[in-house]
Amino acid sequence: MRLKLYRAPAIAGAMAQVRAELGAEALILSSRRVAGGVEVTAALEKDDAPAPPPAADPKRAAAFAWHGVPAGLARRLQAGPLPFALSTVLCFEKLALDGSAPPLLVIGPPGAGKTLTVARLAAGLVMAGTAPVVVTTDGKRAGAAEQLAAFTRLLDLQLLVASAPAALSRALARREGGAPVLIDSPGSDPFDADQREEIAALAATAGADLVVVLPAGLDAGEAADLAGAYAACGARLLAATRLDLARRIGGVLAAAGAGLALAAAGVGPGAADGLVPMTPDLLATRLMCVPELSAARTGAPPT
Amino acid sequence: MTTTAIASIRAGRILAVASGKGGVGKTWFAITLAHALARVGERVLLFDGDLGLANVDIQLGLTPEHDLGSVVEGRVGLAQAARAHEGGFAILAGRSGSGALSQLGPAALEALLAALRQESTRLDRVVLDLGAGLGRSVRRMAGFADTLLVVATEEPTSLTDAYAALKLHAADAPTGQARVVVNQAASRAAGERTYTTLARACQAFLGRAPTLAGVVRRDDRVREAIRRQTLFLTRHPTAPAAADVEAIAAGIRGA
Repeated sequence: MRLKLYRAPAIAGAMAQVRAELGAEALILSSRRVAGGVEVTAALEKDDAPAPPPAADPKRAAAFAWHGVPAGLARRLQAGPLPFALSTVLCFEKLALDGSAPPLLVIGPPGAGKTLTVARLAAGLVMAGTAPVVVTTDGKRAGAAEQLAAFTRLLDLQLLVASAPAALSRALARREGGAPVLIDSPGSDPFDADQREEIAALAATAGADLVVVLPAGLDAGEAADLAGAYAACGARLLAATRLDLARRIGGVLAAAGAGLALAAAGVGPGAADGLVPMTPDLLATRLMCVPELSAARTGAPPT
Repeated sequence: MTTTAIASIRAGRILAVASGKGGVGKTWFAITLAHALARVGERVLLFDGDLGLANVDIQLGLTPEHDLGSVVEGRVGLAQAARAHEGGFAILAGRSGSGALSQLGPAALEALLAALRQESTRLDRVVLDLGAGLGRSVRRMAGFADTLLVVATEEPTSLTDAYAALKLHAADAPTGQARVVVNQAASRAAGERTYTTLARACQAFLGRAPTLAGVVRRDDRVREAIRRQTLFLTRHPTAPAAADVEAIAAGIRGA
């Protein structure tokens, strides 16, 4: 077995190094955050690997096709138990929400669920006994701050509004040591160079980790393009929302495949319990939940 | 797959401790594990299976009257060669630098292992401290044991060597039990991460993953205890590393 560690500022860069050096067959064994970026441990077993790849599971292949999982990803996810296959092909990482972790800057296209995601993360922290600092950089759009303010009032938290990098840096300077920081941002278009620069400036000011919020149910190609564009401005983490409402989730896998680590999943309407860590088991269960397949099992006629 | 599940199935009576790579604390762990098992009432024999460069006796400052060499030469039986240690367990010392032992032929090795298996029926546990590397006799003893404990640290070289040990074990003992001990971990979470990395490689390349025997956190007092040739659990009974080894002993007992 060849085992190697790769460091890069973002997951996408590390994965590209892995693929370039070890090839597409390389397995991602682990990834973790290190100073200045991420470290990915990858391995390749060249000689006499005893377990030949088992034949594709037709049920899994059918589920992938139904969800619209990109063909390249589907091929690499054929072998072994599905949660395991997912964990070796895609990156999973828990959101770091302790006070020593960098602030989380939540970004994404309009309507993806950014504000609700920030509210849910804040609610989870408050329920666990930690009061986070909640900031919104969306001071321009009508009613944007009010929506988040409604949540922070319920949680008895103060909402800081900081539309420009300078205001953000003043707001963060006031925070008490050890409190986690959650930053909401206005909806953005990552294909627009100016907007990408704005995001990068906010992230640099806050020293923040970028979490991209994308709703499940997007077309796989669209999701991959969005994720790739956000990754290009430094995003590492993905929160997939609306997993309870969308049926086909190939877009979530496509976004992860484009270089974001799967971190959180929106799975229900609850303010606090509606957002859970994304795990290989959760994603595997969700992928194998295909209405047509269960209909076929129970003998119901196909629609 | 729950990769971080701590093994809760009882381990076998004969445990082999291997590492592939040297310098990861294998012998220290084997001694401390034998001591921990003895402290909870087990009758334990610590067998120094490092046939070329034995050093259990050196770590413990012993000058044994008999050692493994005497057994192989047929001068004494295995039971007579073992000596009681004040830690409450018996030790069968190796013989460091013994050319005869490192060149032990396959037939003589089988005879030795048969005698060990026979002796084990009078004991609760045998802890076999294997040599570094993956030579023929190390490989045979790892496959012979009921449970293989592979000691690894987070270093890539250690992980690669631990993987190689697990791979050979999977080939030699397809139904055998293998567990991983992560030693010198910066924290419990870091140790579990190291285990997960190793287990993933095994699951992917070997089709089966070892369970986690436990994580031993890094502790400078380990080095100090070794330098003073004393048992760690006696010298530092309340150290985190002591608690970690005791937890591993409890897991081995199925507790």
